[in-house]
Amino acid sequence: MTEADEIEDRGGVAWLPLAAAVVALAGLADSIYLTVHALTAVPVPCSIIEGCETVLTSPYAEIAGIPLAAFGAVSYFLAFSLALMTAFGNRGLWKFFGTLVVFMALFTAWLLYLQAFVIGAFCQFCLISAATTFTLLIIFVISKLRRA
Amino acid sequence: MKNVKNEPAKKTASGVPLAIIVIVLIAAAIGGYYLYNSSKSTPAANRAATNANARPAATPVNAPPGAQPPNTLGPQTAEVTVEEFADFQCGSCAAVHPTLKELQSIYSSRVRFLFRNYPLAIPAHDKSYEAAAAAEAAGLQGKFWAMQDKLFSNQQAWTANPNYRQLWTDYAKDIGLDVDKWQADAAGLQTKSRVDEDLKRGRALSINSTPTIYINGRPVPYESFNVASMRNLIDAELQRAATAKANPGGAGGGAPASNP
Repeated sequence: MTEADEIEDRGGVAWLPLAAAVVALAGLADSIYLTVHALTAVPVPCSIIEGCETVLTSPYAEIAGIPLAAFGAVSYFLAFSLALMTAFGNRGLWKFFGTLVVFMALFTAWLLYLQAFVIGAFCQFCLISAATTFTLLIIFVISKLRRA
Repeated sequence: MKNVKNEPAKKTASGVPLAIIVIVLIAAAIGGYYLYNSSKSTPAANRAATNANARPAATPVNAPPGAQPPNTLGPQTAEVTVEEFADFQCGSCAAVHPTLKELQSIYSSRVRFLFRNYPLAIPAHDKSYEAAAAAEAAGLQGKFWAMQDKLFSNQQAWTANPNYRQLWTDYAKDIGLDVDKWQADAAGLQTKSRVDEDLKRGRALSINSTPTIYINGRPVPYESFNVASMRNLIDAELQRAATAKANPGGAGGGAPASNP
């Protein structure tokens, strides 16, 4: 069996990549929201459980003047596209999806470290993004495990 | 884009996913654009503010009263009370500070403004409780609002500065405090108990974020934290109070007036 056959063994649309596409879509919406927040610099209320304004206005929240969330939005859009193409038959794209998601997860881990130990505040919508990225990674790992 | 493995049996129309991808891209662009514009002009805020009948429920009147006497501006017998719960290290509290200052100057003769300390116990706000005590200590010399203004206006300068106490001392000198007394008071029990009393009131009202603002006991939606929207809300309350006075029979719509 080829890799492609194993991803899709129930005929029609491969459900794991399809699930990944849906999750990536949620991540896309979240990161668009964060990007707009970072760009308009509208402060969000300070709350007991989060500190979005602290996180989003920290020097770590942008690279060369571009909000990190914008990079997130592009990554989620790419992940969504790759997963959807895979789901509809372009099986070869699944490994590109996997590579992208591994990089996203590594970067997310770094951002979580910054929030926890450097900035000392967490941002709800950043945590949603982290959860989304790790979900994508888990979906990819499951697809690999099913193959093994 | 065709399958790189060239499996004709698995061949699927790639037009469908491509179409979906294009739709998502367009939706994302439109959504982002709409969000961006609405963040700038806050039409939702204006809508909420002008719809005076959709008043949120009043806060429970049996909540603890907070520090007594409270830090207030404006006439004690005013028909309309604006009560703010804030944290001196909160960026959005500093952002809303000029808005409240402007409202205070517009309505100084007709509206009572209250400030409640609500320092949040989160790691990023390591100095907010101390700042609240420092402002209360200035209050013991009748300069609470001047210190409150100094702390919010210069928040960026002291919030992450290891020498924040020196900066605060400079503010204290600027506003003409007896610095030695202020320092002793800031570390004393009286100021801390005032902060704690405010915190008790806030917790009883289930406040979990700052700034939280009430107009006559009704929470103001966060997106209305701008001068225009809050003026609408305050004017509506003033109007309601005037109507109720002119017609004590109940033209107020039966809504109980709550004055914290």
